[in-house]
Amino acid sequence: MKIAGEQTLSAPRERVWALFNDPERLSRLIPGCEKLEVISPTEFAGTLNVGIAAVKGVYTGKLKLEEVRPPEHYKMAVDGKGKQGFMRGAGTLDLVAKGPNETLATYGGDIQIGGPLVQVGQRVIDSAAKMMIGQFFAAADAELKAEAAGTVARQGFLLNFWRYLVRLIRSLFTRG
Amino acid sequence: MFPAEFEYHRAASVKEALGLIQQYGDEAKLLSGGHSLLPILKLRLAQPRHLVDIARIAELGQITELGGKISIGAAVRHHQVHTSDLLRDKLGLLAECAGHIGDVQVRNRGTIGGSLAHSDPAADYPAAVLALEGEMRLESAAGARTVKAEDFFIDLMTTALKPGEILTAIAFAPLPAGTGFAYFKHRQPASGFAMVGVAACLTLDSGGKCQRAHVGMTGLGAKAFRAKAVESALNGKAPDAKVLADAAAHAADGIDPLSDIHASADFRAELARVYTRRALESAVARAKR
Repeated sequence: MKIAGEQTLSAPRERVWALFNDPERLSRLIPGCEKLEVISPTEFAGTLNVGIAAVKGVYTGKLKLEEVRPPEHYKMAVDGKGKQGFMRGAGTLDLVAKGPNETLATYGGDIQIGGPLVQVGQRVIDSAAKMMIGQFFAAADAELKAEAAGTVARQGFLLNFWRYLVRLIRSLFTRG
Repeated sequence: MFPAEFEYHRAASVKEALGLIQQYGDEAKLLSGGHSLLPILKLRLAQPRHLVDIARIAELGQITELGGKISIGAAVRHHQVHTSDLLRDKLGLLAECAGHIGDVQVRNRGTIGGSLAHSDPAADYPAAVLALEGEMRLESAAGARTVKAEDFFIDLMTTALKPGEILTAIAFAPLPAGTGFAYFKHRQPASGFAMVGVAACLTLDSGGKCQRAHVGMTGLGAKAFRAKAVESALNGKAPDAKVLADAAAHAADGIDPLSDIHASADFRAELARVYTRRALESAVARAKR
């Protein structure tokens, strides 16, 4: 199965790169990810619990990063298996800055899937993969936006607090 | 292969079924016609500990007309939908669509609720249910809610159904006078699934102009959807051959088509345009009759 696509994320490239290299945050964004452990800076081990229709299963696997060129490119090798099937393959991720606050993520890969899963799921495996990738990028974009909004919100809070203090001090003096 | 061991519960009422799925939670799976679930169980891709059979609940097996709406119980078999006089008379599109599903064995076992809840991207019913603006009745221990077809299909095999809910019935308004309809599909020869399926439903006004156009599409994308670009290209126009062909050209607009060993994405998109044009032509011819 070949996978290819692109997605625009609303954050500067460095921030997108940081997110895509942060196992803790990634584990929250990958659909069904229960665990993502760091083995080495370029090797992760994880557990996915995914279910589509009645087919639910737990898959464990390893993810290895190669050809890492921050903040624009890495290659990843995936090897995973569960009771219902296995998958192995390789893919690439490229990040291109489209603007000060916009990054184009381009991905591509070739994945082999085998086992009983294929017997019944052949028709929908491609779409299932596409759906999960879509969910991941939507979550990543939301995370990046929240990250940006978080900074702004904190600034807003500080500003309001400062104004409140100024008013309070002024009112003290007017009353006096 | 045989399924893994499970305990079989035959629910006699919706209330009992709701109680059972609440009691067993993740361990339970609803069984209706079994045409999607059993292959999955036999390959042991799913191994639920409890199967709750809702196919024999009497209240789910009825087709009723009440207060200007027609309600079809979730456990009504495809064959019943195809042959019901009431449905042929007032919801012809649905009856016609049911006749295109799988083969005789499938139509005698499979149920409308099972098909819709499973939401296979190539199932036939979703196209017709979308074009007819069906309303899904979802019941849980907490009560019942109604979800429009357009909001029910969310993504690949993903619906608005929440854990603990059962799709119990689908309600429709009967087709207005002056309406023509057609369901056209390109069958996958082995499975009978729709490589592309188009349900068209057109209402013409007294001047012969298109007053209302609903087009439901299945098989093309990860979920069934309303082809809104086709519909808006028809509204208010006299549906001559050119208008229909121009409208049908928008059948795959904005969709990322499925791709598998049977049909590439480009071929599927082309099938969608061709079958949409045929379905529209047939619907207009019937509306004029």
